[in-house]
Order: sequence, then C-alpha cells, then structure tokens
Amino acid sequence: MNTYIYDDFLNKGRYRRALNKVEIRLTDLGLNGKIIRLGSIKNVKEVIQTEIKNGVKTIVAVGNNATANKVISAMITNKAYDFFQKDVLFSIIPIGDNNSIATSFGIKKEEEACNILLARRIKQIDIGIAGNNIFLNKVEILSEQAEVKINEDYILEINKKTPAKIINLNDDTKLSLGKRIDPYDNKLNLIIEKKINDTTFITGDDFKISGQGKLLLDESIEVLLPAEVGLIKEKINIIVGKDRSFI
Amino acid sequence: MFNKDEKFKKFKEAETIIGSSIKVKGNFHGKGDIVIEGSLEGSLKTEANVFIGEKAKIGASIEADEALIIGEINGNIKVKKYLAIGKTAKITGDIQCGEISIERGASITGQIIVSAENAKKIEIKKNKEEEL
Repeated sequence: MNTYIYDDFLNKGRYRRALNKVEIRLTDLGLNGKIIRLGSIKNVKEVIQTEIKNGVKTIVAVGNNATANKVISAMITNKAYDFFQKDVLFSIIPIGDNNSIATSFGIKKEEEACNILLARRIKQIDIGIAGNNIFLNKVEILSEQAEVKINEDYILEINKKTPAKIINLNDDTKLSLGKRIDPYDNKLNLIIEKKINDTTFITGDDFKISGQGKLLLDESIEVLLPAEVGLIKEKINIIVGKDRSFI
Repeated sequence: MFNKDEKFKKFKEAETIIGSSIKVKGNFHGKGDIVIEGSLEGSLKTEANVFIGEKAKIGASIEADEALIIGEINGNIKVKKYLAIGKTAKITGDIQCGEISIERGASITGQIIVSAENAKKIEIKKNKEEEL
C-alpha cells in the first residue's frame, strides 16, 4: 500500500494539471493509494507515524525538497524506527522548483516518477543532520567568515570567496569530484570548488561550524550558525531511478 | 621529473585534498593519500602518501609512507619509504626517510637522514603481515 503526501503549495491552481497527470498515471499503473494533504494537517509527524503503524509500504512525498524533508523527518524521528519503520520505502514525485533531491534519485519529471515507483529499485542511504534538521543532499555554508572544525582535529577557515558545501548525496553533475561522494559510507564530504584547479575535498563525520551566517539545507531549510553537521545512525530506504547520481 | 613519476599518479584520487585558497590549522591525521595545495599549521600524519603542491605553505611536521614535495615546509619530515623533493621545494627542518631523490634547485635547511635499511625493514614486515 502506498501513501502520497501532497505539500501545501500544490493547492495552487498552476499545479492542478501536473497533479492530474500524476493521478491518472498512478491509476493506470495500479499504484494509487491514500492521499494526505499537508495543508489540512497540524501534526505531520503523528499522521505519518499512524500510516506506518497501519502497515504502509511506501511513503511518497509529492512536491519538492522541503516536502521530502518534512516527510523524512516525520518518518525517522521516532524511537520505534528500528522496529517497524526500517522497511518502509520513501520516494518523491517532483512538482515545482527546488527538486534537487529527486534529481539525485534519478527522478526528473512527475510522470517518470510514477514509472520509477513501479520499478521499485531500492537503495538504502545515509541521512545527514544539521542543528535539529535532517538533510539528504547537502548543507551550504552561507557566511562572510566561518570556521569549520572537522572530527575535533583540525580547523578550516572559509569565507564568502570560498563557498563550502557539506554533501551526503550529490545533486550537482558539474561537480568535478562528484562521483567520489558516496551516500552509503557513513561519511560526509566537505567540498570547496573555487576554480577547476582549486578544489578542496575532505571526508569526515563531524563538522562544527562557527561564525556569523547560516546554513542552507537541501536548498530549502535555514539553520543559523553556530551549528553542528553530521549523520544520524538511521538510514532510509529510497526508491530510485536508473539515472541517479550515485551507484 | 616528478610529473612522470608513476608512483604519484594516484594523487588525483587522494582521500583528502586541500585547495590553494584554503587555510587549515590543527592536527591533520588520515589513512589515505593527502594533497595539500593551500596552507597548513599544526601536524600532518597519514599511513599513506602526501603531496605538497608548489603553492603550499606548511608550518607543520609531516609523517607519511611516501611523499612528493614541491612546496614550502617549515617543520620536520618523516617518511617511511620514498621521499621525492622537487626543484621548487623549500624545506626548513630535519628529514628522515627510507629513500630520497632531490631535484636540482630545491632548497633544504636541516639534517637529512636516509636509511634504506629502515625502508627495507618496513617492506619485509609488511610482506610478512600479508602472508599471515
């Protein structure tokens, strides 16, 4: 059984056509399931937890990166995750802007997402955390001047001229070292790509960032500095397409 | 000379790369290959290989299995096996290694101890470990 979580912004008329196409395609493929609209819900976590307890097999975020973030946060932030949630699958049907998570899953268009759901190609990946918020793709450090302490060992000085990203799952095909980013390895990668011949690539699991400014998680959530970035012990099972950004 | 050195070709896939515009402070310890093109203060230690680029400025002691240096270092260097020093290198500190090659033009202020015996011992020990 599938549950589809529709984000608030999909209530706008301009998304009606895309949603209609998705619903028709899902029905054609025999994948239709329960629809939950976030706009009418106060406690997202409770609703998603109830779905999981009732035996849902796949939870699909319909929307963008922010939708994915809300849904995954609700799925994993529960002590019982290890017992009955670890088999629940997650996927995205991308609609609207800011869909880098879907892109890295190999899902580019909404109708393609339906076919990918049917194929059920499953991968289990790491989940990042920055402050109290989770992320799947990356954390961008937006600061005039900041220091990043890595694994309690050494400090990197960065500024606005050296824009840094901490990446779990790469969504940028132009990144020269992008192929080396592994979302299975229990590690994050800090990348600063200033010019082709001036790239910094560091692997770690604990990044403490101090200074003025903020972090931008998955192009959708802001966290003020100082903040700590790492991985949580849980992983998430995702349904991906052939054109995903990782092996 | 060193560009053609097959031993160091794999640096392109180094575990850690510090770009030329980056400053690092502290104890940089790793297991894989490390490339430093920027500046580092503290200490640098790895079980694998180190490459210090031409624009790099290092104020740190270095410990590695093998190393290629073409930048500036203020600190002691301890390399278990092969140490290659390029013509643009400027080193102030003591050097201890198994084997060494120094390109014409390199500047070194300090004591150099080359003990091939040491390198051989390590090699034998490693072979024994592999057999076990």
